[in-house]
Amino acid sequence: MFNRKSPHNSGVSTLTFRLWDFTGTALLNLFMFLFIIAYLSPLPFMVIAALTPSDQFLDANAPILPSARVKFNYDGKDLIVYKVPFESGERHLALYKSSRQSSEFIDPENPDAGTITWQGSWRSLKAVYEPKPTLDNFKDFLGITQLPLLFKNTIIVAVISEIGVLFSSIAVAYGFSRFRIPGGKYLFFLLIATIMIPSNITLVPTYFLYSGHMLNWIGTWLPLIVPHFFGSAILIFLLRQNFKSIPRELDEAAMLDGAGPLRILISVILPQSVPVVTTVALLHFFYIWNETRLSSLYLGISPTLQMVSFGVQRSQSFFFTPEVLMVGALVVMVVPVVVLFISQRFFMQDMVVTQIEK
Amino acid sequence: MDVTQQEGKQLEIRSPKGTRLQQEARIGLLFLSPWLIGFVLLKALPIIAAFVFSLTNFKMLSPGDTKFIGLENYIHFFKDTAAGSSLFGSLGYFLLTVPLEMVVALALAAVFTSPRLKNKRTSRTLIFMTSIIPATSIFFIFIGSLEYAQRLIVQRFDLPPIDGFGLLLPFMALWSIGPGFMIILGAMESVPHEIYEAARVDGAGPWARFVFITLPMISPAIFFTLVVNLTGAFGGAVLLDRGYILNFSLSPMESYINNMMFRDGNLGYASTLAWVTFTVMMTLTVLLFRSANRWVYFPEDDEVANV
Repeated sequence: MFNRKSPHNSGVSTLTFRLWDFTGTALLNLFMFLFIIAYLSPLPFMVIAALTPSDQFLDANAPILPSARVKFNYDGKDLIVYKVPFESGERHLALYKSSRQSSEFIDPENPDAGTITWQGSWRSLKAVYEPKPTLDNFKDFLGITQLPLLFKNTIIVAVISEIGVLFSSIAVAYGFSRFRIPGGKYLFFLLIATIMIPSNITLVPTYFLYSGHMLNWIGTWLPLIVPHFFGSAILIFLLRQNFKSIPRELDEAAMLDGAGPLRILISVILPQSVPVVTTVALLHFFYIWNETRLSSLYLGISPTLQMVSFGVQRSQSFFFTPEVLMVGALVVMVVPVVVLFISQRFFMQDMVVTQIEK
Repeated sequence: MDVTQQEGKQLEIRSPKGTRLQQEARIGLLFLSPWLIGFVLLKALPIIAAFVFSLTNFKMLSPGDTKFIGLENYIHFFKDTAAGSSLFGSLGYFLLTVPLEMVVALALAAVFTSPRLKNKRTSRTLIFMTSIIPATSIFFIFIGSLEYAQRLIVQRFDLPPIDGFGLLLPFMALWSIGPGFMIILGAMESVPHEIYEAARVDGAGPWARFVFITLPMISPAIFFTLVVNLTGAFGGAVLLDRGYILNFSLSPMESYINNMMFRDGNLGYASTLAWVTFTVMMTLTVLLFRSANRWVYFPEDDEVANV
């Protein structure tokens, strides 16, 4: 919008203008491309680390990309190949017999020639690496977490709470957008206010409510599911803003055809609101997927009910190696990212908040 | 009900106005009821209960010994330097990260409104993507990339080691611009084109158009983003929640309260802290809303402004 130059600039020929225009477009797109590369640059490191064998991290001289030490099988033993400096140049030799002052090596290209003795401490030598990504970390990770169970639990909780949150948020948003209610303005202000209430203040009393003193819901999914059946303030807000933008004439036409409020919601409002409902549903899905706060509070005592984000986080207390945890990080991250890409056509299209009430 | 609605506006004139409005209000309230019930049960009552707790010495391990101790917890708060510094830490977190997020989001959104930019949808999704990465992953990504930075740059050139943790805040701020960016972009795209055309005819350059048209027109979106970020700095979750575990939060006040609650089990004092935070945050929000009159442009659209 800001960069569009008028082709009728005085003294600028069409050709110069076109050239100028092309350069501008190219520079702009190049800038965005480089920005995105820089912006996302931490991500590849996680993938690289997840594919790196753990012993590579222990060797300070190891290369950056996932690699394995080159080994040479001699006499039924795997010998590690080192870079051995000679006066004639560096040779890649397999360490056969090590000792402090001098070591014996085998030349992998010519094993029959016998051992070569080299004077010096073998510990000062650098190992030879070849690029070789490994999936061992993934295997280890699957060994320490019950990933299928965690996925299953998350999906169950997500689906049930999704139904609840969509039903009530849509109903409430419809109520706010279409009906004249005495004091409705203040109720809506209250709704906005609840968006801004920090979760801490309600945490102690709600924990008390769910605890054995009252409802005894600890160790079940109920504290994670039931509250969503009362709607979510921010989702109601987004839906309501969108419902408001649907012309009332459509409702009135349906009303003249004899449609009641519920009928209007289902056959007039909702078909017009597919993008915003999708957005809201996805926001809720991301919320459930990333949820760890309530899981740690209420599901800490029941490992079989845990969900993916907290379950993976917990696995670090059992088995801590960074590269295995990178796999966990990757696995937890992949699902929301894939969902976002699949739904990008809808997602956030309608998160336009142009009208903010005072 | 159907009859009344069939007749539409005519009935409104003829029949006693009160009954029709009453009926509309009743149906409306019926639709609102899930949220109203939830608000009372899960927000209003717990907030009041938290206030009651804050006046007692309620302990997790000995609920039987709970006694009413009046304002003692609040007096203790004013002597508690750790609580004070956490509160100011949260404020500082807000003041540090929000300008960074806002400036980057604004600049990106401005670039995105250019019709010359190709592949907008993919770029937009890629920028938004980082905001939905779970907290479980993000620390490993951060630590992992620091480790590689150490190997690639620091060791190779014999530089002093990087103090990585200081970079965490700006990193997180930059990787959280998603919602703000989308809201601002949406607002920018909905600014009527004619206004820009008119300004161009009057000789306004791109910079003048941005400062005098775009910024005022999108001020509601900027305002909304500010409110969202303020809430985030004090431990609320709006739009997107990465799901920080309770004892590790980027908001210092939130971690302090959580430690008080789960490490020390001091529920009474934790409630006091929560109430203090709540009061501070609500004061800031009210101030922000008050200031909105001066700098936020509210279109005169009664249809939307009135419920």
